[in-house]
Amino acid sequence: MKVKILYGHERIKKPVLSTVILETGVPLNILEASITPSRGEIIVDIPASGEQLEKVLEALRREGVEVSELGPTVEVDRERCILCGACVSPCPTGAITLTMEELKIDDQLCIRCRACVAACPLKALKITSEG
Amino acid sequence: MEERGAETLRTYEEINEKIRRGDIVVMTADEFVEYAREAGVEKAAKEVDVVTTGTFGAMCSSGAFLNFGHTEPPMKMWKCWLNDVPAYGFIAAVDVYLGATATSETRGIDYGGGHVLEDLVSGKEVELRAEGWPTDCYPRQYVETTITLEEINQAVLVNPRNVYQRYAAATNSSDRILYTYMGTLLPNYGNVMYSGAGQLNPLYKDYNYETIGVGTKIFLGGAVGYVMGEGTQHNPKARMGTLLVKGNLKKMNPRYLRGATVHRYGATLYVGVGIPIPLINLKVAKSAATPDEEIYTEILDYGIPSRSRPIVRKVSYAELKSGVVEINGRSVPSSSMSSLPYAKEIAETLKKWLEEGIFTLTRPVELLPLDVEFKPLQVKRYEPKVKDVMTSRVISAKPTDDVKTLASLIVKHGIDHIPIVDAEGKLVGIVTSWDLARALAEDKRTLQEVMTTKVIVAKPDESVDVAARKLLQYKISGMPVVDENFRVVGMVTTDDLAKLVKGRRGVFSLEG
Repeated sequence: MKVKILYGHERIKKPVLSTVILETGVPLNILEASITPSRGEIIVDIPASGEQLEKVLEALRREGVEVSELGPTVEVDRERCILCGACVSPCPTGAITLTMEELKIDDQLCIRCRACVAACPLKALKITSEG
Repeated sequence: MEERGAETLRTYEEINEKIRRGDIVVMTADEFVEYAREAGVEKAAKEVDVVTTGTFGAMCSSGAFLNFGHTEPPMKMWKCWLNDVPAYGFIAAVDVYLGATATSETRGIDYGGGHVLEDLVSGKEVELRAEGWPTDCYPRQYVETTITLEEINQAVLVNPRNVYQRYAAATNSSDRILYTYMGTLLPNYGNVMYSGAGQLNPLYKDYNYETIGVGTKIFLGGAVGYVMGEGTQHNPKARMGTLLVKGNLKKMNPRYLRGATVHRYGATLYVGVGIPIPLINLKVAKSAATPDEEIYTEILDYGIPSRSRPIVRKVSYAELKSGVVEINGRSVPSSSMSSLPYAKEIAETLKKWLEEGIFTLTRPVELLPLDVEFKPLQVKRYEPKVKDVMTSRVISAKPTDDVKTLASLIVKHGIDHIPIVDAEGKLVGIVTSWDLARALAEDKRTLQEVMTTKVIVAKPDESVDVAARKLLQYKISGMPVVDENFRVVGMVTTDDLAKLVKGRRGVFSLEG
């Protein structure tokens, strides 16, 4: 599951993720991080499910950060998409597949790198929550 | 041997009669390939009258002639913009040609001529701005208004080079990501991009151009269009034929005419084209039955910025379409710049038009030539190469030399880059004054501790443009020039290249 972690300046010096990783033993994967003097915003992939996932979320909340689940990363404008394939092979994780009927993006594999968004000649792809 | 275009199996008149009667037998190229495989091509050729083809891809060499009509008072438009995209206006007074790859002067490559054409075909209002050349008969100097496709007189799509018979695929051996007209190419042969519909490709299905020529009626952008003749760069010997096509923009469908932007490359137009191939003789039927497994193209290495890009390997469209291509023993993902599902849809639409009797065939008044050549442009003036601008007296050092010796070399010669060479003179690293500062800060003694070992190099015969682009891309101010044995023969720096700016016309900027 991909989550967005938000926290204010009072937690900036705390090694939040390392603490959670050590405590739960789950190897969190940082996809994006933006730390400014006033706040931190980190997007991580939690490779866990069920009880273990709950443990990670619980541990994160204990660290006093705000956690919200992210929906599908890439949005496809089906009207614009012409099913060409310009986004398929440039995807470094192989998350995109194309059939004669549909373009599919596997959110489990997506690392939010935006290679597909740039590669689309029809501008049919965008990162959810971005313009 | 049978004459090219011989109508030994059926004539155009017979085909059109069957279309009118409603008992024409049509298959898409995909269907015909399968049927010929099962039934044999002779039997298939007897039963099937027409095979429909289709392709839908980025066709940069496209555009439209537009006639706006006269204003009151009238003007001779000679500079013209549509939604800020410049159109060519040096055609009489109110005719312009809007090219698909022209880009907006305010939005850059995100919006180009192709987008304007799509907007017009979608019925959208487009801003027209023009500057005039005032004369006694055309007094107006400037106009600014809006137009729609319906309001203008003629809007004729005239595409000088469309429907490539086949197209070379692309990969990238270099260590950086490339953004090309073949799309995004990942480093170290990370992927393969290709274009073209393979066994659905119109010109490949009429391999010897027996039925396609001047006057052939086709599907163009969702409407009826015509082939005007061979396209530019038509290269029949390599079976990379092209077509010059025209059609009435006013009748077109925006589904099959899409403005597009290839990332960091430019604006273009995706054009949908479908061509009916009448099976007039057995040779035509055989070429229409060619399956993807027997249609080959080359994978070229775009990591080499030269006109003659090295061929990595030959590949069939069957392998390209499978999504995985083998390169140097590795499985590499492949995908297409053009749309196969839309190509199929176009071939199916054309099939429907023929079956419904709303589209008949035309016999070409002249077939496409088989003997023209596609020549490169010879630059007749001498152009400077790296060896002409480089400094050949190179001060170099050995990996075991100490930092202090090097510092004195830099001061003594007033230079900034010192190549580090082994006993045979081969390049093993580079040290700049910045590395020396680091050596001082980190208390390093020998050059091998501070030198950069992954060195960006130039070749003596490389064009200065390629060298300048390398310096920019890697954000460096100089690089060693090495021969084929990696021995250092010179140094080339931004200073050396800057000297060239003097006396060179046109655009040459180190800022890119």
